[in-house]
Amino acid sequence: MAITRINIGPVHPSTHGVLRLVVDLDGDMIERVETHIGFLHRGVEKLVETRMYMQSPAYMEKLDYVAPLSYDEAYVAVVEKALGIEVKERAQYARVILLELQRIASHLLWLGTMCNDLGQMFTVFMWSFKDRDMVLKLLEEASGNRMFYVNVRLGGLQRELPPDFEAQTLEVMDYMEKRTAEYERYIERNPVFMERMKGVGVLSSKDAKDLGVTGPVLRASGVEYDVRKNNPYYVYENLHFSMKSQEKGDNFSRYRVRIMEIKESIRLIREAFGRMPASGDMAGMPIRLRSPEPVNKVSKLSRELPRGECLMYMVADPQKPYRLSIRSPSFINLAALSHIAKGQRLADLFAILGSLDLVMGCVDR
Amino acid sequence: MQADMADIVGIQGLLGSGSIWYNILGIIVYAVIVMVLLSVFGYTFGWIERKIIARAQYRHGPTYVGKYGFLQNMADLIKLLSKREIRLAQGDNFMVRISVPLMLSLSVFILLLLPFSQSLQATNLGLGLLLVFVTIAFFPMFVFLTGFSTGNKFGDISAQRSVLMLLSYELPMIIVIVTIALATGSYNIQGIVAAQANRWFALVMPLGFIVMFVAMLAEFERPPFDLREADSELIAGWLTDISAPYYALVLFLDYTRMFLGSMIISLLFLGGWLGPSFLPGIAWMLIKATLVALFVIVIRATMFRMRIDRVLHLGWLVLIPLSLINLLITYIVLLWIL
Repeated sequence: MAITRINIGPVHPSTHGVLRLVVDLDGDMIERVETHIGFLHRGVEKLVETRMYMQSPAYMEKLDYVAPLSYDEAYVAVVEKALGIEVKERAQYARVILLELQRIASHLLWLGTMCNDLGQMFTVFMWSFKDRDMVLKLLEEASGNRMFYVNVRLGGLQRELPPDFEAQTLEVMDYMEKRTAEYERYIERNPVFMERMKGVGVLSSKDAKDLGVTGPVLRASGVEYDVRKNNPYYVYENLHFSMKSQEKGDNFSRYRVRIMEIKESIRLIREAFGRMPASGDMAGMPIRLRSPEPVNKVSKLSRELPRGECLMYMVADPQKPYRLSIRSPSFINLAALSHIAKGQRLADLFAILGSLDLVMGCVDR
Repeated sequence: MQADMADIVGIQGLLGSGSIWYNILGIIVYAVIVMVLLSVFGYTFGWIERKIIARAQYRHGPTYVGKYGFLQNMADLIKLLSKREIRLAQGDNFMVRISVPLMLSLSVFILLLLPFSQSLQATNLGLGLLLVFVTIAFFPMFVFLTGFSTGNKFGDISAQRSVLMLLSYELPMIIVIVTIALATGSYNIQGIVAAQANRWFALVMPLGFIVMFVAMLAEFERPPFDLREADSELIAGWLTDISAPYYALVLFLDYTRMFLGSMIISLLFLGGWLGPSFLPGIAWMLIKATLVALFVIVIRATMFRMRIDRVLHLGWLVLIPLSLINLLITYIVLLWIL
C-alpha cells in the first residue's frame, strides 16, 4: 500500500503548542514520525548570560508555562549553589509545599488535555481547570501572582507565607483528594478511555532507559527513578516520600503514575505543613543588582519537575552566569515519541503525544 | 395501480385526491412547513446542546444574545454566512458547493417521509421505511465526496473513515429494519407505529433498539463516533477546507440530523405519536424525539472518541451478531409462540 505523508502542525488542535510532526502513514498505521521543533525557540539560555543573576527567574518561568515555579526554583537553586548560599530551613519547607502545589496544578492540566486528545468534549478539561484554579489561587496567595510567580529569592522566598495559608491549603487538599478519586472513578470506568489507553504506546523499560526519558514517563515503564528519592534535595529526605511507578509502560501506566503523584503530592503537602518549624523566617535576599561573588565556578543540580528531571548546569562569572545549560525533560521525552508511535494507529499518535505531557516552551527553550 | 401512483406523487392524506396541480401545491406547502419545523427544532437543539454541555462543564454557555443566549446561534450563523467563500486551489469547488446543500435537502426529504402523527405526513408510502434508510445511506456518501474533493489529506482520511463506517453500520441497521418489517408485516411507518399500540418495540426487541441507537449515532457522526471530523486528530476532517457559509450549513445540518435520528428512533421503537390522550399525537412525537436527542447530547458531553479499528470491531463483531440474534429471537417468537 502506498505511503501517505501528512503534515501535522505546527498549528493543530492537539500538538500542545507549536510542534510540527511529519507522519508517514501506511493505511492507518504509522510508519515513521518526524518531529520538527524550534517554533518557540527564544534563546533563553543565551539571554541569561546577558542578565544579572536575579534578573533571570522571570525568563525561566516562561520556559514551562504550565509549571513555572519549578523552573524558577531550579534556576535560583543553581545560582544559590554557585554563590554558596544556604536556604533557611523554614524556606525549604515552604518551597517544597509550593513545588508540590505546582506539581498538582501541572498534572491536573495534563489530565484535562489528555482527555481532550482522546476526543472528549472538554468536559474533564473544564473540571480539571476548575480544580487547578483553586491551586493557582493558593499560589497567588503565597506569591502575589496567579501564573508567573517569581517569588523564589536567594536563600528563601520573597515573603512569608500568609498567616492563614496552611488552613486554606489543607482545605483545598481535602477537596482535591475527593476530586482525584472522582476523576479516577469517572475516567477508569469509561470503556472507550480504557480501550484507548491500555496497551497503547508501550515503552519498554530498556527503551525508556536508552532514550533517556525521565519523570512519570520513565516511572510508568517500571524504572524506579525519581530525583526526589534518588538524589533528594531540600527536606524530601525528612518527608516520607514514596516513589510511584507502574510496570507496563503504556499510556494507561503514564496516566496512573500521574494520578498517584497527585495523591502523593497532597500527602507530602500535609506532612510538610506538619513538620514545618514554627519559628524562623523564610525571607530570602531582596533583589539587588549586585549579588555576592560566586564560590563555585561550575555548579550543576537536578530537580524533579512535573515533566521529568531537569538538569541545570551553570558556569559562573561574577554577577552574571558565563553559561547556563538546561536539560529540559520535555525535549528528551519528545525524542521518545517517534520510537513509541511507530506501528501505532494515527488516532493513537495523539494519545501518545498527550501522555508524554510536553510543553513546547520547555522543548524549544 | 392508480392508488400507488397517488401515493408516490401525492399527499392523499392531506388534500384528498384532487388534480395533480393541487397535489404538487400541497407537497410544496407541506415541504415549507416541514422545513420551518426542521429549522425550529434544529435551532432549538443547537441551543439546548450548548447549554447542556456547558452545564456539564461548570460553564453557563451562551448568555448574552437574547434571553438565556437563545439567539447566540443566530448570531453565529449570521457571522458565518457573512464570511467570504474560499475557493480551493486544488480541489473540486463544484462538488464542495453542491454536496452540503444536497445533504440538507436530503434531510428535508427524509422528514417528508416521516409521519408526525396519524394524519400529519406528506406521503404514506408502502415502502416508506426502506426509502428513509436508503436516503440515510447517502449522507456518508456525500461526506466522502466532500472530503475527497477538498483535496486535503485530512479530508481524504476522513472520507476513508466515512466509507468504512458506512459499510459496517449500514448492515446492522438494515437487519434491524428487516426484523421490524417481519414483526409488523410491512415497511409502512404508519403500520409500524400502529403495531406498537400495545407495547413499544423498545420493550419487545431491546437488542434491536440498542443496535439501532448505536448505529444511528455512528451514521449521524455523533460522539463517540465523530471520527470523520475528529478535531483532535484530523483538525476537522472533511470540513477542514470548507468555507464559512457551508460550514454554517453543516452545523445546522448536524442538529437537523440529530432531530431526524431521534424522530426515527421514537417512531420505530418508542411508539411514535402513541400516548395518553390528554396530549395530541404530534406533541407525544416531539416529546419523545426531544428526550432521545437529550440523551444523545449527554453522551456527547461525557464520552471519549473511539478509534476507527474499534469502531469497525463494534460494527462487525458486536452489532451485526446482536442484530442477527434479535432477528432470530423475533422470528422464533413470531413463528412458534404467537
